Amino acid sequence: MRHKIQFAIDFVTYAVRGGPKFYLWMLGLGFFILLMSYGAFRQFTEGMIVTNYNDQVSWGLYEAQFVFLVGVAAAAVTVVFPSYVYHHKKLKEIVVLGEMLAIAAVFMVIIFIMFHMGRPDRLWHLLPVIGIFNWPNSMLTWDVLVLNGYLGLNAVCGFYYLYKRYSGQEVNKSFYMPLVYISIVWALSIHTVTAFLINTMPSRPMWFHSMMPIKFISTAFAAGPSMIIIAFLVIRKNTKLKIADEAIELLAQIVTWCLGIAIFLTIAEVVTELYPSTEHSFSLKYLMFGMHGLTGLVAWYWSSIVLMISAFILLLTPRFRKDHRFFLPLACAMTFAGIWIDKGMGLVVPAFIPTPIGELSEYTPSWIEIINSLGGWASGLFLFTLLVKGAVGVLLGDLKNGGEWEPIVISEESKEESYRG
Amino acid sequence: MGNLRKIFGMAVFTAMLAGGLYAGASAQDAPSEPAEPTDCFESRDGYSSVTREEVDGKTNVKCSKETGGVLWWGDPYYGTEAMGEMPVPADYSREEAVVKPRTTQLRYYMPCTQCHNGSMVPYPKNKKPRELAMHQDIVPDSMDLQHGRGAIWCLDCHNPRNRNTFIDHNGGEISLNQPQKLCGKCHGEVYSDWRDGIHGKRIGQWTKGGKKRWWVCTECHNPHMVQTKRFQPIKPEKAPALPKGMKNANHERHGEHKSEGSAEKTGH
Amino acid sequence: MSDDKKKPEETAVQGPKEATRRGFLRDAGTLTAATIAGAAALVTQTDEAEAKASWAEWFQKNYRLMTDEEKKESVERLEKRYSEEYGKATTVDSSPAMEGVLFGYALNIQKCIGCRRCVHACVKENNQSRNNPEIQWIRVVKMEKGNFTTENMDKGYPKDYGIQVGGNAYENAGVTLEGEHYYTPEEVPEKGSFYFPMQCMQCEKPPCVKVCPVRTTYREPDGIVVIDYNWCIGCRMCISACPYWARRFNWGEPNLPQEDMNPVTHYLGNRPRMKGVAEKCTFCLQRTRKGRYTACVEVCPVGARKFGNLLDPESEVRKILEKKRVFRLKADLNTYPKFFYFID
Repeated sequence: MRHKIQFAIDFVTYAVRGGPKFYLWMLGLGFFILLMSYGAFRQFTEGMIVTNYNDQVSWGLYEAQFVFLVGVAAAAVTVVFPSYVYHHKKLKEIVVLGEMLAIAAVFMVIIFIMFHMGRPDRLWHLLPVIGIFNWPNSMLTWDVLVLNGYLGLNAVCGFYYLYKRYSGQEVNKSFYMPLVYISIVWALSIHTVTAFLINTMPSRPMWFHSMMPIKFISTAFAAGPSMIIIAFLVIRKNTKLKIADEAIELLAQIVTWCLGIAIFLTIAEVVTELYPSTEHSFSLKYLMFGMHGLTGLVAWYWSSIVLMISAFILLLTPRFRKDHRFFLPLACAMTFAGIWIDKGMGLVVPAFIPTPIGELSEYTPSWIEIINSLGGWASGLFLFTLLVKGAVGVLLGDLKNGGEWEPIVISEESKEESYRG
Repeated sequence: MGNLRKIFGMAVFTAMLAGGLYAGASAQDAPSEPAEPTDCFESRDGYSSVTREEVDGKTNVKCSKETGGVLWWGDPYYGTEAMGEMPVPADYSREEAVVKPRTTQLRYYMPCTQCHNGSMVPYPKNKKPRELAMHQDIVPDSMDLQHGRGAIWCLDCHNPRNRNTFIDHNGGEISLNQPQKLCGKCHGEVYSDWRDGIHGKRIGQWTKGGKKRWWVCTECHNPHMVQTKRFQPIKPEKAPALPKGMKNANHERHGEHKSEGSAEKTGH
Repeated sequence: MSDDKKKPEETAVQGPKEATRRGFLRDAGTLTAATIAGAAALVTQTDEAEAKASWAEWFQKNYRLMTDEEKKESVERLEKRYSEEYGKATTVDSSPAMEGVLFGYALNIQKCIGCRRCVHACVKENNQSRNNPEIQWIRVVKMEKGNFTTENMDKGYPKDYGIQVGGNAYENAGVTLEGEHYYTPEEVPEKGSFYFPMQCMQCEKPPCVKVCPVRTTYREPDGIVVIDYNWCIGCRMCISACPYWARRFNWGEPNLPQEDMNPVTHYLGNRPRMKGVAEKCTFCLQRTRKGRYTACVEVCPVGARKFGNLLDPESEVRKILEKKRVFRLKADLNTYPKFFYFID
């Protein structure tokens, strides 16, 4: 036990120390977190009236982040799966970073759920035994289960692995491997269930199609690894951790094909909806072209399409995809932004316009919503940075307590030669 | 120092005074909200109306400040009397039914026999249509009575011998408060629907045999102008508030080809 | 809890605040001090009582699972709080569903003139927030009868594809998703329009109940879909799931002026709500469970609204089902509403 406490102390102390760049980054995030604490105070005291939500558009920016971030969390599997199922050696070395991302993403998901709730003080009503957990009827209860389970799985897998490394012991495969395999399936389940959460409501025809789960997963497996690639590039630029080009290359390929599938599914949806053009396609029409002079989301939609398609073209071209210095991070950022729009403002909001009885209205987030959302992201990135920093410390061998694992370090000299970026 | 304080004090005083004046002025400028009316129409403006009153600390009706119509019934039986015999063709024997007397709502009821007593206004000899000497405001052209499209005339409904009543097919009297018995003479299907509670309006108890106030025909329909203006159009209540962030509802009027405003004749 | 046993009238006349203030006056020396301190005491006293009540409310169980004793306790607590808050004796009823009753509603779509009196009657009866947010449970939508003219023959869709040109006025006519919600003519009904009121349909297979994660919304034996406002966590799944857009949300603390508050309430019906919870039409169960018609039925100037017991063959709704052509809204969704539209 003392050993474990020592690990926790070492991990935290290592994670919070860094150079000026690190402190500046954390300070910047801290600023947004501070802003959020004001926004959260306003919202929790005055109610959701401080948002621009209304009875017509009753979900907005928060739920958009929620849906997107569940995808990011699920995307950790794009690191775990090749590592353990295909035994991709280079990726396996750093698989724990993917798990750290999953933890941070689920943490953000929880923050956005708190902002989503009208009565966060009554969340205990969900707890089995003292409350009522309407399972299996309510899809939301499934989501609660899978998200919490996923958080637990990743925390256990990630920290077990780090702890073993820290203590210089071999991982117990009969304990560790089943958890890894479960977490792979579980990752798919969290995003599938989130898709089921919204596509099982015929009241919202835009969501009501069976393509939702696969579209969610394909977009998630494009946006998530994009973020991981960027994180990897930042990590290897700033630390001695050896993140091999092969690892990044594999993730870039995953992004490419998942993005391709996502674009294909988008086209399929557009054709299916617009060819017959029934009343059920009003939401999509409003999103793509606007309706009766209301065009609030049109620019969002088309910018998302442009971002996704140009990112796909960049990624398809080996010259650009392998340019880790500029074009790969650019394409990843474009993928990330494009899908963030596509799944957020492009998916959550238009489903409410028009209402099931045909009322058109427009929604723009309020300032409180914006600062709370920025703060939610900042909190997640704050946690992610700490987790990754500690994890990198363990992988580098800076953090250890006996035993000998070979640190995954690259020397400064060879860095220039062996990395493309 | 003392001076400063004095000046400060004066400034505060002036500011307060100005503020007070401003507040007073703005209070006067503010458009005063119309008060809740006390004389409210029940269904259609110009037909039955009800006086808003407190009874045992409870209000009998609540009315619209916008239109003057009744918006909420506290006491559904206010100002009513028993409808009279009301046989119920059902597995329960009795339906407690009340109506609001029409005689208190009519413009010229004092009662009718005050004038139509055979001497002041002689009893008509037959039912043949003729020009009316009075009551043109109710029936503008008695030679072209549209009710029944010429098939009937005033005295097919109004009792020539006792103008305080209507007349049935057998010459029997029908109370002015029970016009359904008169109208039902011809409008059998509507009468049957009305008896079943499908047509027309009832308030009070929904329960089997529960006490209900029944709206009678002439509380909604004007038999004298039934072809020209079947219903009196009314002013609608306020529209709902626009969704947050919306400035107007112009997007709704995309197919604005319809004739603006109201309709004299509605296609019911 | 002995205090709570008081009748609401007594509480309203002589609440605990009064007693404290008088007690304080007797003990304290000077009038000035007593006024200031008394005011302070008054404030803290109220806060304390209120805090105690809301604390107890916060911990209470889901209404459906409460024992009769717990229900009584909860109802009395609410009566006391509402009576103080709104300055009038308020009753909170907890009558269960009546035996052998299944509520049904029928609306004559041919008769509705779009006057919106039902909307406002409902607000007067059901203690909705009056503004910011403005909550109304009934929405009346104006529909067009269509306008087919020869001038429009060559217009409309799909003019640019060379498949069909002309013979196509392309007008909305009848019940569509493109109605008008905010119509404000001088008079209704308007020529060429008809009106379509919508509210909670009290579905037999309500999507809102299915998606609720905490079962705060459920169906009562008389068919009414109710909400325990004290158990709702405000996740708004029900609002998204409702195909009839019948549910509303208290985005902020509801604004219900004292003088507008209807003091005759039911726990599952029109009692004042709090911020962050969903609400909707309950067929005025505070009235209908006592045998009274709903507020909207009573106010409809054209008698388009009909209400009764679906299990009673002599009831007006059953007669309508028997004699008229009826339809349910969005029947394709298999929600089995107990709200029928009919035409003569």
